[in-house]
Amino acid sequence: MSLTIKLFSVPRNGHRIFRCTPPRRYEASCAKGQYINVSPPDPSMNMGDITERAAQTIFWTELARGFAVTLGNLFKEPATINYPFEKGPLSPRFRGEHALRRYPSGEERCIACKLCEAICPAQAITIEAESREDGSRRTTRYDIDMTKCIYCGFCQEACPVDAIVEGPNFEFSTETHEELLYNKEKLLNNGDKWESEIASNIYADHLYR
Amino acid sequence: MNYTGLSKLFSVFRIIKESGGLRASLYKLYRMDELKVGTLMGTDKYGNKYFENNRFFYGRNRWVEYAPYYRLEYDGSQVPAEWFGWLHYKTDFTPDNDPGRPKYKWMLDHTENLSGTPQQYVPYSTTTQKIDAWKPPCPK
Repeated sequence: MSLTIKLFSVPRNGHRIFRCTPPRRYEASCAKGQYINVSPPDPSMNMGDITERAAQTIFWTELARGFAVTLGNLFKEPATINYPFEKGPLSPRFRGEHALRRYPSGEERCIACKLCEAICPAQAITIEAESREDGSRRTTRYDIDMTKCIYCGFCQEACPVDAIVEGPNFEFSTETHEELLYNKEKLLNNGDKWESEIASNIYADHLYR
Repeated sequence: MNYTGLSKLFSVFRIIKESGGLRASLYKLYRMDELKVGTLMGTDKYGNKYFENNRFFYGRNRWVEYAPYYRLEYDGSQVPAEWFGWLHYKTDFTPDNDPGRPKYKWMLDHTENLSGTPQQYVPYSTTTQKIDAWKPPCPK
């Protein structure tokens, strides 16, 4: 009886019976549309097991791992720099504290053309000009409000004689507001103090100007 | 030797010896938070010493040791303009080897940031007053 049934079903299932099937990889059925879970089995979700696992993580393994990270970093070379002793790299184009420059003869460069005043987007520059005793046009007032300035560098780009520059200095923070209202004396002093570095910066950039 | 880590211990002794003994090393550690040895690249006219040691990574391989008379009053603005570029990695020339660095007689000495001291900058007008205040005529 059973044999006859098998024989009758040969046309439908014959390929299954007579075909030499390759060894199956997985125990599960490989019918189409089904998938095989190859990841580790899900942990048990009993309340007791959950508590046990959480306690292990929090009270033991996490502590040990945290201490290990701390210990490892103790012996590592720090990635930070020790600021007042070590300083970070700066570009020659860095725009810091303003300065008014002089010609090598000692004559001040600024001719009071007021281009910097005109281009300043924050309107931080105030200039008044008069002719000097020898007839040359010079500023009598050159004020920069450093608290208005946005350090965009337009003034040094506008200047036809390289008089106003933004020097390399960035360590000019003050304790009061009024110390940042620079006048002409202060700007010329800055230029005289920083000329060595300002001239080197301009030289470093001379191919691109 | 390297596997046991004993070479590290020996290098600690060497660094202490090169920084001038245990007492000097402890003071340096207290003042600079770090004990580093390197080659002396130069000294500026204010007594600050500049060191380089390329064993450290870029950004930490050049440093300044502020002059001893500053004690704990050292400040980043005490680095003069001549050494500023070298310390900030703009140039590899130390100022005495840099041919392009100008020296004019009108250049001023460096001053640190004087904010908060009696020598601080106080703004003033560099022009004369353009408007005079009204003085009431004195009654007869």
